[in-house]
Formats: sequence, structure tokens, C-alpha cells
Amino acid sequence: MSRPISHVVFALTALFFLFFFALPIGETLSGAFRQPGGGFTPAYLVEVFRNPIYLEGLWNSVQMAVFSTALTLAIALPLAFLTDRFLFPAKNLFSALILVPMILPPFVGAIGVKQILGQEGALNALLASLGLENPAHPIDWLGASRLGGVVVMNALHLYPILYLNLVAALANVDPAMEEAAENLGCTGLRKFRKITLPLIMPGLFAGGTIVFIWAFTELGVPLMFDYQRVTSVQIFSGLKDIGGNPFPFALVAVMLVSTVVLYALSKMLFGRASHAMMAKATSQGGPRAIAPLPAWACTAFFACVTFLAVLPHIGVVLVAFSRDWYGTILPDGWTLDHFRAALGHDLTLPSIQNSLKYASLATLVDLVLGVGIAYVVTRTRLPGRELLDAMAMLPLAVPGLVLAFGYLAMTQPGKLFAFMNPAIDPLMILVIAYSVRRLPYVVRSAAAGFQQTSVTLEEAAQNLGCPPFRALRKITLPLIAANLMAGGLLAFSFAMLEVSDSLILAQKQQDFPITKAIYELYQLLGDGRFIASALGVWAMGFLGVTILGASVILGRKLGAIFRV
Amino acid sequence: MISISVENLVKKFDENVALNGVTFRIEPGEIFFLLGPSGCGKTTLLRNIAGFYIPDSGRILFGEDDVTRLPPHKRNTGMMFQSYALWPHLTVAQNVGFGLVERKIPRAEITGRVASALESVKMAPYAARRIAQLSGGQQQRVALARALVIRPRALLLDEPLSNLDAKLRLEMRIEIRRVCKEYGLTAIYVTHDQKEALSISDRMAILDGGRIAQIGGPQAVYRRPQSKTVADFIGETNFIEGKILESQPGSARVETPLGVFDGIVSDPGWQPKPGESATLSVRPECWRIETARPTRNAAAGRIGESIYLGEVAQYQFDTPAASLKILELNPDLARRPQDRELYATADPDDVVILRK
Repeated sequence: MSRPISHVVFALTALFFLFFFALPIGETLSGAFRQPGGGFTPAYLVEVFRNPIYLEGLWNSVQMAVFSTALTLAIALPLAFLTDRFLFPAKNLFSALILVPMILPPFVGAIGVKQILGQEGALNALLASLGLENPAHPIDWLGASRLGGVVVMNALHLYPILYLNLVAALANVDPAMEEAAENLGCTGLRKFRKITLPLIMPGLFAGGTIVFIWAFTELGVPLMFDYQRVTSVQIFSGLKDIGGNPFPFALVAVMLVSTVVLYALSKMLFGRASHAMMAKATSQGGPRAIAPLPAWACTAFFACVTFLAVLPHIGVVLVAFSRDWYGTILPDGWTLDHFRAALGHDLTLPSIQNSLKYASLATLVDLVLGVGIAYVVTRTRLPGRELLDAMAMLPLAVPGLVLAFGYLAMTQPGKLFAFMNPAIDPLMILVIAYSVRRLPYVVRSAAAGFQQTSVTLEEAAQNLGCPPFRALRKITLPLIAANLMAGGLLAFSFAMLEVSDSLILAQKQQDFPITKAIYELYQLLGDGRFIASALGVWAMGFLGVTILGASVILGRKLGAIFRV
Repeated sequence: MISISVENLVKKFDENVALNGVTFRIEPGEIFFLLGPSGCGKTTLLRNIAGFYIPDSGRILFGEDDVTRLPPHKRNTGMMFQSYALWPHLTVAQNVGFGLVERKIPRAEITGRVASALESVKMAPYAARRIAQLSGGQQQRVALARALVIRPRALLLDEPLSNLDAKLRLEMRIEIRRVCKEYGLTAIYVTHDQKEALSISDRMAILDGGRIAQIGGPQAVYRRPQSKTVADFIGETNFIEGKILESQPGSARVETPLGVFDGIVSDPGWQPKPGESATLSVRPECWRIETARPTRNAAAGRIGESIYLGEVAQYQFDTPAASLKILELNPDLARRPQDRELYATADPDDVVILRK
């Protein structure tokens, strides 16, 4: 790319971010401070902090985020450590399955969880049949603590993000660092705490931050658990009367500021020191073989976590195939009716079409923007390119709900982007919303590709008469195709699973994407959950193939995509 | 065949001045070397000529064309990169044919020209191979063929032999010179290997700190270095400090702690005055060791450490004032007793007098 083109790319991406990232956030924030007749007022914000219901919601959201992150870490850290250090049976199988928990359309998973852990669910039925429980007074596993349920669901859903970061970080630790500690008499847990943990802190922080923000702003799971007293759900409920009610705006503002404050706070506490590894690894690390007993223990641990993580999936699949399932261990009978009903419902086929359309267009936008941004950041010396890089990563740090809300506000009649009003046709704004949220994955993978591909390959082409832009297309892009495909696949998968934008911006039935269709189907009386599950199974199968493809292409580098 | 002129080229990276007013002219068909220690600006200069850097000021002319701001793909130069920059996703033939495809040459002609280019570097049997299946030397030949097949106005070589082993390097040196002369190419060759420069260049420029220290043919640069930097960088030498006794145009007599020496003043811009400080540069192979005191240009001393290398021997010749490095061809160490005083002497023609 020549300098003028780089400038144009820079300007266009900057403009894109200004309009579709800064502006919606600004809209959301300003909505929180605008009086009915115009003019500034802090009254709504103050009211948020006075109203005990909103305060409780905020406190619950913080708890949800903290506990989810802690539980995620408790799951991911041992797993990552075992993977990094030891060889054990079926290790490759579990490594390949690691992303499976992520391909769960979030609230479909909750259906599965309820089916298994609910009062009339499979677990209670199992316990009763074993005589461990009185069937007349079943234990309410989920109702006992809605917060607990949401936290467990979040952790089982999100641990792969942290796991991938930790595995990558552990692989970067020079084994000699630990050997030096051992040589000086520091071993075991003490060595882990004093040497290993500080060295992997950047990876831990990077993954932990994403998990934290994800959990703090999660909408789908608490909605399914009917957990009303969290900020995200309160915002969602407040939507129904967006025209007049300023409180959703005020809540969103509070959520955004809290996210930033919590992020800054955690960065101060944990993310400060990034110890660059100075020396080259002197000894070859790598996992080592261990005795059969501990090896099988590792396998059992992995199997256990994976089983728990895919329990919702199993639940969903069983629900989707079951004639009826109430108070028994396994469904009473099997049927394909729900798949037929799901496909036959007039919501379904259009929603699949819509989702494919939105997600592929968004992926296309992401690829174009992502390659442009990654190119400017890695290959040019334009002033301000670091800013562009940071900007491209920011969507990871901003709650989906905040952006979704901003998009809604900025497309209201009378605004600059009224022509994109989702009430008329949500295509443009949804594609933009999806692509902004998923852009970081594509930028990261494209940048990694550019960094691994020598500039001289492109220069050689230019020297032989190939104009810069064509040199990029003919030489570098084919060489980084694998990175782009992997990034694109992830962007596509997560766009298909997107909740916040989908629920808020798709307002007419014919525009619903698949996630909102599942949500609507679930609310049908009678066999709603069966039909929703059937549709969820379809989505899971589809995304499973996509993510498996991405992990095969990217291998270990997959972890690098989930970094802030 | 074109000439290449560089006029007053200045290139800065932030505060670092990489090129500080470089001027020279390369004649059509000449093999011109850019030589210097790492960080001297030689690769920066080459990249300016290729178009990958735009200079802050100054001009670059290909013949009469001002190409200073022309983008690289319009300059029609063939460049060989230090890393070869062969594309791993294309075959050998596709790599070589790339520039021709860009020039929209008919397919049939491309096939023919690629075949003959591969033939000329003895790589024809490997046309269908992938780059990863080639050895270092083979990759280097493909890179050369790729740069030549487009019939460039000029061939630019950026340390093309630095990744090869010594034997292959020797072979490829001769190959590159043969090909350049055969195609009648104006070539610019960047290296830090002085042997490479001395053996195949027509002329060379020695760069130091972003400036040209000296331009000349291999013999001129080696035998008549005009500064201490050049004398030190090209080949080995003995520096002896002294004071000018008397001088004529082009020559002078210098008094040193080792004795009085007659020599050549190589820098045409310097007419030394009696009493001025000067440095003598005498190459190790220019010394002869005598048993009887020569009439002039002699230093008395004893042989210290000696290293026998077969065709030559390397002596450390200890005088009361300094220790000299001396090379003797076809040595017979038995004739060189270490316990008696000997004399080292050099022809006035081999003694170069430099500004201190």
C-alpha cells in the first residue's frame, strides 16, 4: 500500500470508529443527562444511585462479574497448567474440544441447564431414583441462588477464553526461570506463586479482563434465569418505553463508567508489570510424560470440566429430541417433531436467513476494516497508528449493551443516522453493530499475520513492477490467508451468537436474527422450549464446525485472538 | 544500459541522519559497490535508489530521468534482497515469471524468457519446485534470475551472498559478475565483505557515517586509501604516527619513532606542510624483512610471535617504539631467527601518508 492509500485507510477507519463507536457511546451517555425540554441534568444519574432497586442491580452485576471471573480462573488455571506441563491420555481430544463451551447460544444453554438442574430436572430425578432425595421435596438447585446459577453458567461458558490466554502465556515462560528458582531451593506451590504466576500475569490479565467485562454486561444468561435484579436486565426491561424513559440511558452510562473504572482498577492491581522474557529459552520446555495414575487423574479432571461445560449442550440436545421431559432422568420419548416444528415455524427460516446475511456481511466488513487497520498499524509509520490500534481493541472493553443502546439512540427519527432506523430496516445498523463488536478478533489475527510475514516479500514484488496495492493482494494476503480465515470464522461465529444487538435492534419479526428467534420461540407457551432447543441444536452444530475449523487452522495461536 | 547519478542525498530517520549529502555517478554498465561497516548507510542508500525510501533532499537520476519520487514499481530495477524474498506460495517458475506477468507480457514469451533465465543460472530443472524445497545457493540463483528476467535498467544487490557458505560465495561472486557483464547491466552491490568488493567491482564507494569516504577502483582504494577510515576498513594495515619533514606534490618524507619514511600522499586535496602531524599506513604484505640495514624506509626490530599459515606467515615485528604486523609469502621460518636484530622495510610507493 502506498502512503496516500494508507492515509485514506486510516481516515476511513477513523471515521468509521468516530461514527459507529464513539458516537453511539456518546449518544448513550448524553441520553442520561438530557432533560425532557433539552438541557443538562444529572437528576437521572442521581436517581439511579438513590433507587435501591437500581443499586441492588448494580451490586449484583459487580458480584456476577467478580464471582464469574474468579470461578473461571479456578477452572482455567489448573487446566492450562496441566496442559502446559504434562502429557496425559486424550490430551489432544480435550484440546480440540476446548472451544466447544463457547459455541452455545447463551440462553439456549440455560434451557439445558434448567432441564438438568431444575426442580423437576434430571439430577433430582436421578437422586430420587437412587433414594438420596425425597421426591416430594426436591431441591431447588437453581432457585436456591439465581446469582450462583448465572455465575456457574458464565464460568462454564467463558473459561476457554482465559484458558487459551494462559496456555499461550505459560508456553512463553522460559523453563530456565523455574529451574533457577528450584536451584535456589524454591519449589512446588511456592515456586508457582513467586515465579510462574508473576510471569504469566499479562496473559492472565488479558483473558481475565475479557471474561470480567463479558460477565459484567451479560444479558442472555440472567434473562434466562429470570434474574431481574442485575443492571443488564434492568436496561433491557427499560427498553420497552425508550421514547420517554431516560433511566435505561442513565443505567447504561453507569455501566459504561463502572466498566472503565473496574478495568482501570484491575489493571492497576494486576496488569501493571509485564515482564518481558529477556533471555532466549536455554532448555527445551514442553510437556513431559508422567506416571499412569496422575496422568489419568489429569484426564479425569479435564473430562469432568468438559462434561460440566457441555452439560447445557447435552441438555439442549436431549430437550430438542424429547417428546416430553418432566421429572425424569431421561426424556420420556424421542421425536423429531420439534425440528419439524422449529423449521416449520414462520419465525425460523427467515431468522436463519437473516442471521447468515447479517453475520456474513459483518464478517466481510470486519475483514476489509481489519486488514486495513492491521496493515496501517504493522506496516506503516503513520503518526497516530497506535491510537488506531487501541481503538480497534476498544470494542472488547465496552459492554455490548452500551453500544446496542447507542445505535438505537443514534438512529431515532431526527438524528444523523435516522436513515438506518432499525424499526424500518435494521440490516445496515445490525451489520455495523455486529462488525464493530467482532472487529478486534480480525484485527488481531491479521496483525499477527502481517508481523510474521516479512515486508521484503512485498517489496520484491514492487521492485518487479507490481503496484503496492496489488503487491499486498498477490503476495501478502495469500500468505496470511490462514490467519484471516481463522479471524473471520471467529467473527462470523460470534456474530451468529450475538445477543445484545440482536435483541435490541431487531424489532420486527421478519428482521429477527436466529438468537432473537430462539428467544421468542422460548417464550411460546407449551412446547416453546423444545422448539427453541431444536433451533439451538442446529445453530450449535453449525458453529461447532466453524470453530473447529478455526482451531485447526490457527492451532495454538488461537489464544492470541482473545487479548486486549 | 544507463548511468545512475545520486546528488546530495539526505535521508533522516527521526533525529538519526542515515545519509548526509551523498553524491556520486555510476557509469553505464559498471558494477558499483557500496561498502562500509554496518550502520554506515549503505542499505539505506540502496533502498533510496530502489524507491523504498524517499530522500529528504537531493536527487536520484537514472540516465536523464529524475526518479527521486518515482514509486518503486515504476523504476524498472531488478533487486536481489539479502533474504532473497522469494514467495513461498509460488513455484520457482512463478517467482521468476512474476515481473513479466506484471508487465503483461504474452504468456508464450513469459514461458520462454523464464526458461532461459533459469537456464542462465543453471536452475532449469527446478522450475516446478516450491521455494522451501531449495537449498540456500539454489534460492540465491532463483532470486538472481527473478531480478534479471525483467531486463531491468539496473540491478540492485543487497548483500546477496551473506547467507551462503564460503565456498559457494566464491562461486556465486564470479557468477554474478559474469551475468552482469553478459547482460551489460549497471549494477549496485551492497556488501560489508571487502573481498567480495575487491574481486568483482569496477568501482566502489566506501561509506562512513552517512557520507562517502572514498570512491575508486579496487586497486586505487586498496593501494591509495585517502583516509584512516578507508585504510582501516579495506584490508589490514599498520598505522604509524609521525611528523612531516618535507613534502613535494604527491609525496612527502615523515619522521616517526621507527625512523624516517618516504611515502605517497594519496589525498589529492591535501598538501602537507613541514611540521604537520601525519599517519603512515603500510599494509602487512608491503613489508620486507632484511638482515642488512636498507638505505631508507627501514625500522629495526626483532620477530616476536609468528603464525605459519602455509602460503604465508604472519609475524609480529617488535620495534622499540611499536609492534608491526608483517606478512611474508612463501615463508621459511628457519631463516627467520628470533634472537637477532632485523630490519623491516617498505617501498616508498607502498607507504601511504594520511592526514592524522
